[in-house]
Amino acid sequence: MSVNLQINNFWIERNERQLCRDLSFSVSDGELVRIAGDNGAGKSSLIKAILGWIPIEEGLIRLNGEDITHNRDLLLFDQIYLGHTPGIKSILSVNENLRMYCPNASEVALNEALQQVNLELFDDTPAAQLSAGQKRRVALARLWLTKKRIWFLDEPFTALDAHGVAALEAKIQSQLESGGAVVITTHQPLYHLSPKTVELTP
Amino acid sequence: MKWTWFHRLGSPKWFYQWAERWRGKCLGLGIVLLVLGFVWGLAFAPADYQQGNSFRIIYLHVPAAILAQSCYLGMGIAGFVALVWQMKLAPVFIKAVAPVGAAMALIALVSGAIWGKPTWGTWWVWDARLTSVLVLFLLYMGVIAIQNAIEDRVFADKAVAVVSLLGLINLPIIKYSVEWWNTLHQPATFKLTEKPAMPVEMWLPLLICALGSYLFVAGIAMWRMQTEVLNRERKSSWVKEKVVDYGI
Amino acid sequence: MNYRSFLKSEWLTLVRRKQDTINALLFFVMVILLFPLGVDPSKAFLEPASGGIVWCAVALSILMAVESMYKEDFNDGSLEQWLTSGLSLPYLVFLKVFVQWLVVIVPLLLVLPLLANMLFFPIEQLMVMISTLLLGTPALFFIGAIGSALTVSLRRGAVLMLLLILPLYIPVIIFATGAIRAAQSGMSYSGQLAILAAISLTALVLSPLMAALSIKASMN
Repeated sequence: MSVNLQINNFWIERNERQLCRDLSFSVSDGELVRIAGDNGAGKSSLIKAILGWIPIEEGLIRLNGEDITHNRDLLLFDQIYLGHTPGIKSILSVNENLRMYCPNASEVALNEALQQVNLELFDDTPAAQLSAGQKRRVALARLWLTKKRIWFLDEPFTALDAHGVAALEAKIQSQLESGGAVVITTHQPLYHLSPKTVELTP
Repeated sequence: MKWTWFHRLGSPKWFYQWAERWRGKCLGLGIVLLVLGFVWGLAFAPADYQQGNSFRIIYLHVPAAILAQSCYLGMGIAGFVALVWQMKLAPVFIKAVAPVGAAMALIALVSGAIWGKPTWGTWWVWDARLTSVLVLFLLYMGVIAIQNAIEDRVFADKAVAVVSLLGLINLPIIKYSVEWWNTLHQPATFKLTEKPAMPVEMWLPLLICALGSYLFVAGIAMWRMQTEVLNRERKSSWVKEKVVDYGI
Repeated sequence: MNYRSFLKSEWLTLVRRKQDTINALLFFVMVILLFPLGVDPSKAFLEPASGGIVWCAVALSILMAVESMYKEDFNDGSLEQWLTSGLSLPYLVFLKVFVQWLVVIVPLLLVLPLLANMLFFPIEQLMVMISTLLLGTPALFFIGAIGSALTVSLRRGAVLMLLLILPLYIPVIIFATGAIRAAQSGMSYSGQLAILAAISLTALVLSPLMAALSIKASMN
């Protein structure tokens, strides 16, 4: 499992503001990239631009050497994105939510994943009854259920308790060790991980 | 820094300068033709043998109705261009033309109603043409409303493009359905515009009026587009230079 | 996520929430109720007008149902997941509209015989009315899906959506009521049904594309 994502000369403009100018970096297997910057510096926008749903003014993006600037499907099939809102349907149960995202996961794997995020007792609970942190942990459980080579985690530690933070850090570590790559934005200090930092300056 | 960045900006600049050259000519010739057409139509063309002098409102009504439809056609095409080729000027065109087209549709509606009073005895008749102009006016209002409701410019451009294109696809269906509905409801005895044999002295001024309004609206549209281009490109160097030239 | 799991969760969501179905149904009944109360309860008025009354009520309740169809997906982040799932967004939209159509239209059709009877609509022609609804309402849903996608991120999107979409509903209403009226006066109505089907098919092809485009722009 090897992966190489190259971002070349990205220019992103939002609401007449330049979020990044001529930004280049690359993410390879085993690498953790942390996008840093102040609030509103455009960290989330950069991830969205990489995933192709906000337009870039200029730039080139390559996945394993292939130009995917105009069609990101290759990248999309090989990644998991977790944004600020976890994408959890409140009327469905925890199990049903995970089944929607990971239809091929086995029952055992599902329970295993819920155990990892400390939700094993909640599998039949409607997501509406969960707290914000618990919802986020449901979304994070997807990381245990699917093998994708690149993760894009936008502020994944928000609303997580200490146990959750530790579990997520360990999972990120194991993803890196198995040859995956992780792009992350966070304001929290990372205790056990040593990321490569991409700084967004206004 | 890459040069393509500037090349893409080049197109609005080129348009601005092109419009600068042609705007005045269009407006001037348009106004001359309009005045000529109106004076000829209102004062010298022969009166209608049935409707008398009241038919003369045709010189306002028909050009306005034609323009209202042409503007929407243009907007729909621009919407297509904006969505498919992502041309920068296409959304500018839609934004500039929508209020003009809406005004034309309104003029057509009001003049139609005024014309209807002496001809049919009521201000409003559910005539197929009038009804489809009313729907057209509502479509214009939709475009303008969504333009105003969205603050993010990129999103607003996309949204008006989608709405314009959607309206353009629907316009023929709406027109056809309304005409069909109209014949179902009442025999089409009244037709505002179709006079079987209109003498030359009557339709020539009408043609001049229509031409004049095309040119006039084209000039206005260019002017409005120029303003919008200046606003959108205000960070680029050519606009800054231009502003400095004006000594502001 | 794949298309099947998406369809399943959409179905579960709508069936479990019931809100869309019940609201549309209640709204439908209320609008129909307004006509005898507000205009004229006599058979002489209601019988010829019943087709138009039913269709206006249907169009309004569909607008109600469609208006907020992506609102929750927008708020809970599901739309972001659709966009990044690698699945075809137009196809996801198509599936969603289809499920929505089922859960709204089927209950309406079930109460229709009763309401039609209350409007003195001749029972022999009920099949014509049902045909117009089956052939015409997909167009209303698919056109509405575009408006809903355009206004999903706006705070006061509902009224705007009405303004955008209602004019586009006119042809469908005209041909549907035309077919019903033709049937009532013993004329052939297959032409109108064919046009309704054509409009619905066109909407079915174009609308998912345009709605997907609008969703993408909304998420900007």
